Amino acid sequence: MSRWTYVLSEAFIGLGRNLLMSIAVILSVAVSLTLLGAALLLSREVSLVADDWIGRIEVSIFLCDGQRCPEITPEQQAELESQLEAEPVVQSVAFESKEQAYTRFVELFDNQPDLIATLDEGVLPASFRVKLTDPERFAVIADRFDAFPGVEASVDPREVLDRLLNALNLVRYGAVLIALVQLVAGAVLIANTIRVAAFARREQTSVMKLVGASNWYIRLPFLLEGVLEGLIGGAVATALLRIFYPITKDELLSVVQFVPFIGVEEVWAVGAQITLLGVAIAVVSSLLSLQRSLDV
Amino acid sequence: MITLKNVTKTYKRGELGEVVALDDVSIEVAKGEFVFVVGPSGSGKSTLMKLLTREQLPDTGEVYVAGKNLNTLRAWKVPHLRRSIGYVFQDFKLLPNKTVYENVAFALQVIGANGTKIERRVPEVLELVGLEDKHDALPHELSGGQQQRVSVARAFVNSPRLMLCDEPTGNLDPNTSVGIMKLLDRINRTGTTVVMSTHDQQIVDTMRRRVIELENGTVIRDQARGVYGYTD
Repeated sequence: MSRWTYVLSEAFIGLGRNLLMSIAVILSVAVSLTLLGAALLLSREVSLVADDWIGRIEVSIFLCDGQRCPEITPEQQAELESQLEAEPVVQSVAFESKEQAYTRFVELFDNQPDLIATLDEGVLPASFRVKLTDPERFAVIADRFDAFPGVEASVDPREVLDRLLNALNLVRYGAVLIALVQLVAGAVLIANTIRVAAFARREQTSVMKLVGASNWYIRLPFLLEGVLEGLIGGAVATALLRIFYPITKDELLSVVQFVPFIGVEEVWAVGAQITLLGVAIAVVSSLLSLQRSLDV
Repeated sequence: MITLKNVTKTYKRGELGEVVALDDVSIEVAKGEFVFVVGPSGSGKSTLMKLLTREQLPDTGEVYVAGKNLNTLRAWKVPHLRRSIGYVFQDFKLLPNKTVYENVAFALQVIGANGTKIERRVPEVLELVGLEDKHDALPHELSGGQQQRVSVARAFVNSPRLMLCDEPTGNLDPNTSVGIMKLLDRINRTGTTVVMSTHDQQIVDTMRRRVIELENGTVIRDQARGVYGYTD
């Protein structure tokens, strides 16, 4: 039992002896882990939003209204609808008239009256809104119905979505990259404090070696000091993420409505991951540092 | 207790080339012996001590301590070897921020001894070295001789089979040195083997124990009940 009190008290003495350095290390680790955690949370949010949108999007099949191609006849329209419904990948078909299309447009852009003013009421075409069982199989619909008499074009909204997701991914990779560079800096800082700590206690260490303390027993306090720095850094990062979670949520929801947002349990999960990573990095860099400064 | 067979150890010293610290040295020390190792600085005394605690390995030849071949001893077993050796330094190497009691107890704590053993053994050893009334003193409050007694107590607290003393009286005046020598003699009489390197002619001449003299890395004299220098 006394050996554990020894290891613990030595580790805390080590932290306290070089308090400013320890704080610098903890902050550096915390900042890098916060960035990394934010990037991880962002990617969870992105995939959540993407899943939601992909599930909800519909393929639009625009019907000719005489502006760019001869207007669709009621027979052609009925034939198109029944063929669409017979298609196995099609889940449901809904008709949207020219009036409904305009109403929806007005609702969608009601904060941009200039845009609405430039659009005449009859310009937007009527369409079939087709929901697919598998949104990936849009090509089947395009192949079969683009040449159908009375059809102007079919549009897959996923192309637009993909561009948006690519932009988000770029942000995500950038954040991960910065986080990794920061993480390397944190690891080097930990290695350095451990070296300083080992040097400060070299007398004690040499006595321990000569009375036959095992290598692990000699190393454990230093290792624990590094682990504590990693652990506190991870905890600070988790707390920061938890603090920023509702702020980010409100911010996003005030800009875009009806967007799903990751639950707070995701913050805890990511917090656990980055804390574990912080501890792992601390262990590795402490051991490498001790390998050089404490060898038998 | 100790066997060295044809041991050679050289150090590389940058551009100066190699320095031969020990050259084909063979020594045998039986259990319970008291041996002085004498010789001028650079004769190989320190290297000999470092080989015995396996701080260093010989280039060629074999070293046996307490029945173990140190050449083949695994690194993780080295701590166990050192637990059977008590080491006393010229400069005491006490931990300045720990009391006398804590310094001695430390040697037991770090090898995982339990609390009852520590509480029983530490006062016992402090009494043996005559410091039973200095438990709570810090090293800087003690004289050199007292500090060396603490150091001897720390080396002996784990009941080692071998005591290695590296010029233990080198920093002490003659009277104090006599006290330390009496202490080491008492420890030797309990059956503990003692190997002591020294420059102290008076002590060697008075004790009349076995003397091994080194010069330029070779044994030039190994004499039972010897004296410091040649007297013929």
